[in-house]
Amino acid sequence: MNLPVWQELYESIGPDRFELISVAEDSQGEAAAGKWFDKAKPTFRCIVDRTHRISSLFGWVNVPSGAWIDEEGRIVRSNEGVFPDETTIKFGLGKVRLGNDAFAHATRDWIERGPESDFVWSAEELAAHLKPVDDDALLAEPTFKLALHFESAGDSERALRHFDAAQHLAPDNWNYHRQGWTHKGTVYAALQVLKKSAYLRKNTDKNYYDPMELPGENHRRFTEPEWFWTPAINGLKRLLRRAPSTT
Amino acid sequence: MIVLTSDSTSDIAQRSDDTDRLWVRVDQLKQATGWQLKPEGVCLGEICVPLFEPEREAWIADADDWVWFCYSAFADKIGQQHVRDGDVWSLGSVPEVRRMGLESGLAPDFEMTDRNGDTVRLSDLRGRKVVLFTWASW
Repeated sequence: MNLPVWQELYESIGPDRFELISVAEDSQGEAAAGKWFDKAKPTFRCIVDRTHRISSLFGWVNVPSGAWIDEEGRIVRSNEGVFPDETTIKFGLGKVRLGNDAFAHATRDWIERGPESDFVWSAEELAAHLKPVDDDALLAEPTFKLALHFESAGDSERALRHFDAAQHLAPDNWNYHRQGWTHKGTVYAALQVLKKSAYLRKNTDKNYYDPMELPGENHRRFTEPEWFWTPAINGLKRLLRRAPSTT
Repeated sequence: MIVLTSDSTSDIAQRSDDTDRLWVRVDQLKQATGWQLKPEGVCLGEICVPLFEPEREAWIADADDWVWFCYSAFADKIGQQHVRDGDVWSLGSVPEVRRMGLESGLAPDFEMTDRNGDTVRLSDLRGRKVVLFTWASW
């Protein structure tokens, strides 16, 4: 969850120089997010957002996402995939690796140099990233909220129906997919992420996280899993490439 | 009847003779939707949408000893998406708020309670740089 890395960054830059606000987008509230916050013991502001209000307000479609907001309340950058370092997520016999420290370096630079930072977006870049959404995506938002309401009320049948509708209306919104799939269990959700990612990687030009266009960024279009046996397979492939041709 | 918005859940009265549309009692309108009826129209903060006479006549009505406003018709007028299931209505974001805020580069304001029980209001942090990020346990 990277919270300890954010805490290090917060302390090293200096809490007097900026506000850091961490928002957990979790329909299960404290029961799901609380232990991660407790473990990291962050001194920055921490919010549990059961209805994904912050993602809706900023138009974010996956977690983690983040924004830099200047002293006058204007958005400087608004990105997806804001990992502060390389993150490894393990599941069963596999793992995925995401992100690196490019965003943390850029964040430090902006806080120290403000508008002089090379990572401040131009007005054109900002407008391109904050573009209007279509009617279906606008309808998906209250549909997703309806699903969260019925999930909270214990009405699983209606919750799943509305999660499904929101996912169809806004197929690129991973928050709707991942939170909705989690209603059926975290293992189910993880498998669905891998399945949908594999399909999109092969058949479309879409990204799981959009590239942040930062120096040194190790952008991966999708979370490609590395299985327990992947190193052995890769080693075998290397050996086969080195083997002399018999033809 | 329950009305969901991006930042509130309100359990409010339902007009008994028309349950197909979202009628909100005028005294509960602000609580449920954020909007208020004013002489200049229907207002949310600095945004005011004028009501023309035919709309005023059709959307403001007496029933069950109260005055009601047909919010679903108004939402259609301003392009606010809404969806219902039974007696639960869910309202989407207001397009004009998006246009004036996020799409013009202004960070949308919010007020939420943090884990320490303190209120976090983004506009209170003016004068300081803010880094905001989301994550999830799933």
